[in-house]
Amino acid sequence: MFERFTKPARDAVTAAQTYAAELGHDRIGDDHLLLAVGSSTGSSAARALADAGVDAAGLRAEIERAHGRLGNDDADALSTLGIDLDAVRSKVEETFGAGALGSGKPRRRFGGHIPFTKDAKKTLELSLREAIRLGDRSIGTEHILLGLLRTEGQGHAALRALGVDAAALRRVLEHGEAA
Amino acid sequence: MTDAKDLAESAASADPRTGLRAALALRRLADSLERLQVVNARRQGWAWQEIADALEVSRQAVHKKYSKEM
Repeated sequence: MFERFTKPARDAVTAAQTYAAELGHDRIGDDHLLLAVGSSTGSSAARALADAGVDAAGLRAEIERAHGRLGNDDADALSTLGIDLDAVRSKVEETFGAGALGSGKPRRRFGGHIPFTKDAKKTLELSLREAIRLGDRSIGTEHILLGLLRTEGQGHAALRALGVDAAALRRVLEHGEAA
Repeated sequence: MTDAKDLAESAASADPRTGLRAALALRRLADSLERLQVVNARRQGWAWQEIADALEVSRQAVHKKYSKEM
């Protein structure tokens, strides 16, 4: 399937895995794909998102919020109260196993493979369908974003939370140039 | 943040940004802990009512929040 993806689109799929790992999430979701296309500087999807008022930092913060996970910023904030998040985490993990607390701590998984969520797979499948529908030969970041809007998963929810008009974004993507 | 004194000074900081961020982090931590313990309680056969009593909330509240995760 990926042979039809443009270089930026393929890079975005790879980046989605990196973002999921960085955020300490154990699945690559359509929200991580969104963060990846939104962060791929110069891509048509990133431009469309920027025009809609969405930047990578905002996306990242919204995704962390939606996952309700404890990130490094939370650890720093808790330390100002004298709470050592690592200590709390290791206590909990003694009983409930690794990652029990919904850890946002980046896990070192060298060469580790993180699976896609159902919605992430659906997003990629629908991106192919969007490309076909629009008569485009290859799948670009804009098609991933269109697939994501159609999937109506966590990525779509993140955009909605950031106040994006999905219908307007879809129109821009359908009529924009490929990248 | 090198010693206890620094920590204490930071906790007492009048800067709302620091204080509010700490409150948010604490709530996230509490939410994570609650979720984990509710799931564990259900696995151990606790009734929703027992969990609700322990958390001092209504049975409906706890059921609504967590039933989908079981």
